[in-house]
Amino acid sequence: MVVRIEEVTTAMLEATELPDGTARVAPDRPFADVVHEHLDRLYGYCVHLCGDLTDAEDLLQDTLVRAMRSFDGLRDPKAARTWLFTIATNCARDRWRARGRALDTVPLEAADPDDDFSLFTTIAIEDPFPYSDELHLDFLRLFGDEDLHTVFAAMTPVFRAPILLTTIHGFSCKEAAAVLGVPLGTLLSRLHRGRKQLERGLWVYAVRRRLVTVSDET
Amino acid sequence: MIDCREAVRRMWPFLDRSLEPHPTEELETHLETCKRCCGELEFSREVRGMVTTTISPAMPDELRERVERLLATVRDGGQGR
Repeated sequence: MVVRIEEVTTAMLEATELPDGTARVAPDRPFADVVHEHLDRLYGYCVHLCGDLTDAEDLLQDTLVRAMRSFDGLRDPKAARTWLFTIATNCARDRWRARGRALDTVPLEAADPDDDFSLFTTIAIEDPFPYSDELHLDFLRLFGDEDLHTVFAAMTPVFRAPILLTTIHGFSCKEAAAVLGVPLGTLLSRLHRGRKQLERGLWVYAVRRRLVTVSDET
Repeated sequence: MIDCREAVRRMWPFLDRSLEPHPTEELETHLETCKRCCGELEFSREVRGMVTTTISPAMPDELRERVERLLATVRDGGQGR
């Protein structure tokens, strides 16, 4: 059940046990301090993970309410960021499952259709800026933050999340694997496929928006 | 020796500094003799840089106010136990 921020009661805060049945342990830092330190980053993660501002707002609320309930279980203050992002990921997983979608579903294609795609090579072959001395850089200069957000939103969630965690939010691969609850090898594989999907997404976006002129749509 | 396909597969972990020493050495050896992969690596660095510096959307004021009210609730009701 989703509990909205407005519905939080003191009774929720005064429960003597954590959801897993263990007794609460007083943390070293107030909950508010921990949230303030990571709030903007956490909101950004929610937006990129959901690809939709309204969903992101609900996800952030779910995350904070769940974090608040289990905060006393946070024994290592240095782990606060990983802890918050893990809760956000789990909340997203639950929300999507309730809608019949899945964060962790890997497409069943026998071969990865993006594996052989190279944006570097595609730009060189298509040569969308014939008079450019910086062909590849000029291509990347087409993309503002909004464009990039749109490309992210079109990615398969299971491949998007590893990129968000490692490349945007600076988690190590081991930390990102922990946040997503997958083995390191799985994380690395998804990260590679995500990067390939991102590269193809950038190209497709540029072609469809007619930011580049090519002979035939790729 | 690794081929170009494997070299490309290792580039982002290499840029993330999450590639193990032996695979890193193999990639560097490949790069010494493959001009195309050197270009691919530089481009990967630029793409990664663009993603790294993307600005996250700013939190709406109304949402921030609601979060602050939640945190005030915690301070008033939950931390004084």
